[in-house]
Amino acid sequence: MAELAQTGLGAGRVGQRRRRSPAPSMLPRRSGLSVAIFLVPPLLLYGVAVLLPIVQSLFLSLFSWDGITDMTFVGLDNYAKMFARDDVFWTAFGNALGYLAICLVLQLGGALAVAALLTALPRARELVKTLYLLPAIISTVAIAFLFQRIYSLDPVGPLNQLLAWVGLDGAQTAWLSNVDTVLAAVSVPEGWRFTGLYMLIVYAALIAVPRELEEAARLDGASWWQTFWRIRFPYIRPVWITTTVMATTFALRGFDIPYLLTNGGPGQSSELLTTYMYKTAFVHTDYGYASAISVFIVVECLVAVGLIYLLLRRRDDS
Amino acid sequence: MPITIPKTALGAALTAAALALTSCSGTAGSADPTDIDPEGKIEAREISWLLSRPADGGVITAMEQIAEEYAKDHPGFSLNLITTPDRPSYIQKYETLAAANKLPELFDTDATPFAQKLADQGRMLDVDLLLKDLGLADDYREAALNYQRFDDGELYMVPFEFQLEFFWYNSALLERANVEIPKTLGDFPQLCKDLRAAGVTPIALDGQDQWPLERYLAYYPFRMAGPEYVQDLKNGEAKFADPAGRAAAEWLYELGRAGCFQEDFSSTGYADAQGLFTSGKAAIYNIGTWELANLATDALDPAVRESVDYFTLPTVDGAVTDDNAYVTPSGIGMAVNAQTYDPLVRDFLAYALERYPEVYAATGALSPTTNVETSIPDNATELYAKAVKQADEVGADSAMPWDTQLDPATNTRLQQELTLLVQGDIEPDEFIETMDAALAENSDG
Amino acid sequence: MTTPVLTRPPETTVPNPPKHHAPARPPRLRAQRALLTITIALIVIVQVYPLLWLFLTSFRTAADFTSGSPFALPSDYTLDNYSRAFATGNLWLNILNSFIVTAGASLLIVVAGMMAAYALQVLGFRFSGAVRSLFLLGIVVPVQIALVPLFIDYSQIGLLDTHLSMIIPLAAFSLPMAVYLFSSFYEYIPRELYEAASLDGAGPYRIFAQITFPLSTNTIITVVLVNSIFIWNDFIFANTFVLSDGLKTIPLGLQNYIGAMGNTDWTATFAAVCVTVTPLLLVFLVLNKAMIQGLESGATKG
Repeated sequence: MAELAQTGLGAGRVGQRRRRSPAPSMLPRRSGLSVAIFLVPPLLLYGVAVLLPIVQSLFLSLFSWDGITDMTFVGLDNYAKMFARDDVFWTAFGNALGYLAICLVLQLGGALAVAALLTALPRARELVKTLYLLPAIISTVAIAFLFQRIYSLDPVGPLNQLLAWVGLDGAQTAWLSNVDTVLAAVSVPEGWRFTGLYMLIVYAALIAVPRELEEAARLDGASWWQTFWRIRFPYIRPVWITTTVMATTFALRGFDIPYLLTNGGPGQSSELLTTYMYKTAFVHTDYGYASAISVFIVVECLVAVGLIYLLLRRRDDS
Repeated sequence: MPITIPKTALGAALTAAALALTSCSGTAGSADPTDIDPEGKIEAREISWLLSRPADGGVITAMEQIAEEYAKDHPGFSLNLITTPDRPSYIQKYETLAAANKLPELFDTDATPFAQKLADQGRMLDVDLLLKDLGLADDYREAALNYQRFDDGELYMVPFEFQLEFFWYNSALLERANVEIPKTLGDFPQLCKDLRAAGVTPIALDGQDQWPLERYLAYYPFRMAGPEYVQDLKNGEAKFADPAGRAAAEWLYELGRAGCFQEDFSSTGYADAQGLFTSGKAAIYNIGTWELANLATDALDPAVRESVDYFTLPTVDGAVTDDNAYVTPSGIGMAVNAQTYDPLVRDFLAYALERYPEVYAATGALSPTTNVETSIPDNATELYAKAVKQADEVGADSAMPWDTQLDPATNTRLQQELTLLVQGDIEPDEFIETMDAALAENSDG
Repeated sequence: MTTPVLTRPPETTVPNPPKHHAPARPPRLRAQRALLTITIALIVIVQVYPLLWLFLTSFRTAADFTSGSPFALPSDYTLDNYSRAFATGNLWLNILNSFIVTAGASLLIVVAGMMAAYALQVLGFRFSGAVRSLFLLGIVVPVQIALVPLFIDYSQIGLLDTHLSMIIPLAAFSLPMAVYLFSSFYEYIPRELYEAASLDGAGPYRIFAQITFPLSTNTIITVVLVNSIFIWNDFIFANTFVLSDGLKTIPLGLQNYIGAMGNTDWTATFAAVCVTVTPLLLVFLVLNKAMIQGLESGATKG
């Protein structure tokens, strides 16, 4: 984690950060008490609301409990159920990966493409940035309302109307009812919502690429495309890792839009681990099993971040 | 991933967590659910009712009026109505409050397995005793009280409504397709095909809220095996693979294949489904008398107003229930929290329950009691009076909505699988197998 | 990291515009430019259209909404939806609650974030590496883990159904990113500044109050603005911990428009959405430059 902090999430130009010395104080004089006074309150807040719940979830996941009758210790049975007996769990896991993939393509792919285009735009960049970021300020409840209407088939909503106009009547469908389209349909709003945020980050990194590097490559006869992939992209790789980590963890904890738009349906076609965990806890009042699922979600996020870090870092080193 | 919490801190945290959790469970309090007339002085204060009813609906309007009347004689009294009309959100809220031991004086619940647990812990007042003690028990419609009872016949909830669920239909559309209203449930698939052929959406269905489709599942078993089937299901004495369950699954699959419901039913909400019917696009719409104000008054589009009529749940060959028995819910019931029950709550309930039928019936709704007459609004169509009269003809048996009967985990799964079944994404056999497995998995927990 | 915020000239965030506006430009380049502009315009339209549609719909009549073409301009403009929106819900109260929660959580995030970063980065101590890692862990921990335990804990100590029940987890889960941003910034406050202050006899508290805190303004703005977007719109914590109407924030208030049995007054709901978006939209439009700059500098740093 510490290393991840320095190079992955830190995303600083590697090497520059190494000056963090073993004698870390920047003040000539300070007492242990002063450290405690500054450190304990934030650590307490963080411990109570983030760390303690993790421990409690681990503990609770070993029990069967409905909230009103006595808890019974069941050992690892909740985990056994999760891995062996519960097909919904695996469906939800698969869906969560699909949701992640779609969100990443939209958010990162979209962000990179638009940011790259934007750097070449002669004017009105500020306006584009502002408009592009706009969806991020709308609450997910409103977004769910909005997309429910956009996907609507009867009365015909904007999406199906658009398909009819361009002559694709055959492609009209009830986007949220069709088991083949629903996962994409609930992922798109999430991707749409934050693509502006990531675009800004990537854009900022792109314009920080020194002009001389590009000019030099151009002089060597490299095309725009080559310059982009050989010069600009490697230069922003650390930021790219940060962005990927952010987008991945946000997508893995995605909840609001599928929950509000389809509540996981039809069937389990748009059920994510998060919505399933929520239902298990607050609809089925099976707090033990829900805790087991949430422990899994944490592990999943940590593994995903580890993988991203490994994959993207390795290529950087080579 | 090294999480660097010192061992001692971890231990302490675990102990704290354990303490927090155990101290929370099994706190039933010392209240006695049969002590319906506690001693003491009536001290006016605010009491709260956590409920799940429309904010501007008849029940809330009536109770607000009654509470005001009561407050005149009891200064300092007020009734705080906290409503969450959206039922799934409400259930979540009420169940979590129960877990936190924070339920208010009055709260709404159906006769669900969860409510049964609360009753078993002595956290709800015995309403049977209360109504008898208040001398009101005989005023209630038998079907209205039965709807609130647990399987063992115990009564812990007070009904505030009485509703009949009909199949509303548009006779003009049926004529256009040259079809009659169905005599048996088995007639539905052919009816749908004929309507489809005439370019009409046969049945408008709100699939988003799940319960309307679940009603359809309940119909076949209710006619074939009676109201006991669903009780047996949850007790593990019946299976979906039994003839009644199989018939229901196959019937729903047939309905789906016959194109009975609009194509995007699973993402159609309540308002849109009703809109399909009231705008004359769909021929049939299955909904209760709570919609009388929209379906049997001049609020209805003039273009369809004269064509709208209703029929009650059709029968099946060899049915074990009478034609006049169908879904006749008395709405979500009101439970009385035994832990906060005191002379004031009793006194208020005595006043309110006595006064309620008259005030409520004046709004044009059906009272759960038989001692008042529902006033028909001025703008009502003939259908309104017909529906109100129908209420006096229903049998004592009522088809229970399954969503209030099954345990929540099985219910969620059932609702999900049902949509898939009707959409043709799974076959009846698959449906039955999945559901029986879900029943087995969830029955012990 | 090459361009610390403290010393970075503001021009870096402004794109370096091609100064050579040569009068004679090859036609191919002009065609490319035009194509580029059109592409971006199309993308922006797709991105913003749903919001525009939402806005227009809030002025439609219900009949026009159900029957009319979704792309047509409203045939009839009506403000009726807005009066219904205000009559049905408790929009002002929802907005006030969202404001309280957002302000409370932001304050907590900023204060706690600065304190932790100060302890970690400026004061320093033996296990600062481990503590830093512990905080960073929080960036990847999904919020759902806290729902059940916090619900139980809250019910034990009577915090359920209070503003604080939302503020605490919202602040705590945003804290790691804030600690990270503040630390990265503090790393670049020159050591000499502190040494000079120390020579004047200032202790760690005075240095924090007189040097570190005033220098943090830019980072504070970034942290507050970015987090406000998330907190203002938080659904999951509010939905889990808030029970009474009086405490409902905007997302929950909007949910109220789904009536009993799922009946929804769509046009009024859209009107309500427009109303509730307005405060954040105004702040966003006014401060959007500062926020975009903050995001960008935060981005290139971390």
